[in-house]
Amino acid sequence: MYKYLLISLLICFVASSIQAQDKQEKKPEVKTPNVKWWDGMTLQVDAASIASSTLLSKDIYSVEAGAQIELKHKYLPIVELGYASVNKTSLEDIRFKTSGFFGRVGLDFNLVKKKKDAKLSPNLFLLGLRLGMTNATYTINNMAITNDYWGAGQVLSESKLSPTKIWFELVFGIRVEVVKNIHMGWSLRNKHLLTTDKEGEISPWYIPGYGKNATSNWGFSYTVGYKF
Amino acid sequence: MKQNTYLLLIAILILGISCTSSEDCTEDRIAKMGVGFYTRALTDTLRKVYTTKAINLDTLSVRGLAANGTLIDSILYKSKTIQNIYLPLNKFETGSKFVLTFKTTKDTIEILHTNTDYYLSLECGCMKVHSIDTVLTTTNLIDSVKIINHKVNATNAEHVQIFIN
Repeated sequence: MYKYLLISLLICFVASSIQAQDKQEKKPEVKTPNVKWWDGMTLQVDAASIASSTLLSKDIYSVEAGAQIELKHKYLPIVELGYASVNKTSLEDIRFKTSGFFGRVGLDFNLVKKKKDAKLSPNLFLLGLRLGMTNATYTINNMAITNDYWGAGQVLSESKLSPTKIWFELVFGIRVEVVKNIHMGWSLRNKHLLTTDKEGEISPWYIPGYGKNATSNWGFSYTVGYKF
Repeated sequence: MKQNTYLLLIAILILGISCTSSEDCTEDRIAKMGVGFYTRALTDTLRKVYTTKAINLDTLSVRGLAANGTLIDSILYKSKTIQNIYLPLNKFETGSKFVLTFKTTKDTIEILHTNTDYYLSLECGCMKVHSIDTVLTTTNLIDSVKIINHKVNATNAEHVQIFIN
C-alpha cells in the first residue's frame, strides 16, 4: 500500500518535471513567467479544528497551526504542530482522557499549470503527503468486568500510557488568496495509522492529530494564513 | 470563487457523513466454553478402531459448584434433548467446577484455566478470555473428556468433548 503510494507520488513528480522540461525544449521562444526558487512562507491556523472543538464536540478540543514554504511555485514543504485534549465518557461510564502535542511534516505539490505569458496564480491546487507523530499520554478508567454467574466483579483502570503513534496522510486541497497576502483554503485528508495496537491490548480511543483510533481515518482542515 | 464554495460544501458534507457513528456496544462480551457430547463405538474390533458420534442427551441439568463446595442456585441448563452446552468459566478464579446431572446420575467436571483481560473498545470496555489447561472429571456416566480448543473467547466454538459411556 505504502509502496504504491510512494511510487505514484514519484511518478507525479517525474511526470511534471519531464512535462516542464519538454515545454522548455520545444518552444524556447515562449516567455514563461518568472518562477522564483523561494516564493515566500505562509503561517496558517486551522479554523476547522477550532470550530469543531467549540461548536460540534464537547469532548474533543484540538488546535493546530502550520508553516509552509513555497519553492518554485510547485513544491510546498510544510510543518504542522498542534495540541489536542479529549475527555470522553462512554455510555457504560468508561472514562477516557488524553492530552498532548502532535506534529506533522510533509510536502504538497501545486497542480496548477503555469500559463504561458501569464502571471503566476496565487491560488493553488494541492496534492500532498504528511507524516504525523504523537506520544500523547492517555488514561482509561472505570472499566467494569462482571462475573454474573459466579458472583463478584472487578473494575479495571489503566493510567498514564504514552504510546508513540505514527501515521501518514494523503492530502488534497485548495488554497486561494482572498486579500493581498491573506490565504484561505481547505484540505481533505485520508489518514493511515502505521503503528497499530495488538489485538486485546488497551489502546487509546482518540489519537491527537490523527482522530479516532482506527486503521484509517478521514480529516478536514480549513486554513487561514498570512504569506510573508 | 463560486466553485471553491461548492467544493467546500461537498467536503463538509462528506465529513459530516463520516463522523456519524454509534456509541453503543455491539460486540459479544461473554466468553463461554463450548462442550459437546459424544459417544465412541468400536467399529473394527481387530484393529481397535473407534468412531466418534455426537449424541443428543435425554435429560441434562448443569449447575456451577463454588470453591467452598456449595452448588450455585442458578441452573445453567435444564433440558430434555441437548447436544452442546456453553458454560461460563469463573473470570476471577483459575478453576471452575460444574455438576452435570444426567437423569439421576451425576458427574462433576473441573476446568483449570487462566484468565486474561481483553480490551475491546471504549464503547464495550474489557472482557475476560480464558485458556483451558486441564479438564478433570468423575466417571459415573462420563467416560472421558478431550480438550479440542484451548482458547475460550467470544466465539461460539466447541472447546471440550465429553464422551459418555
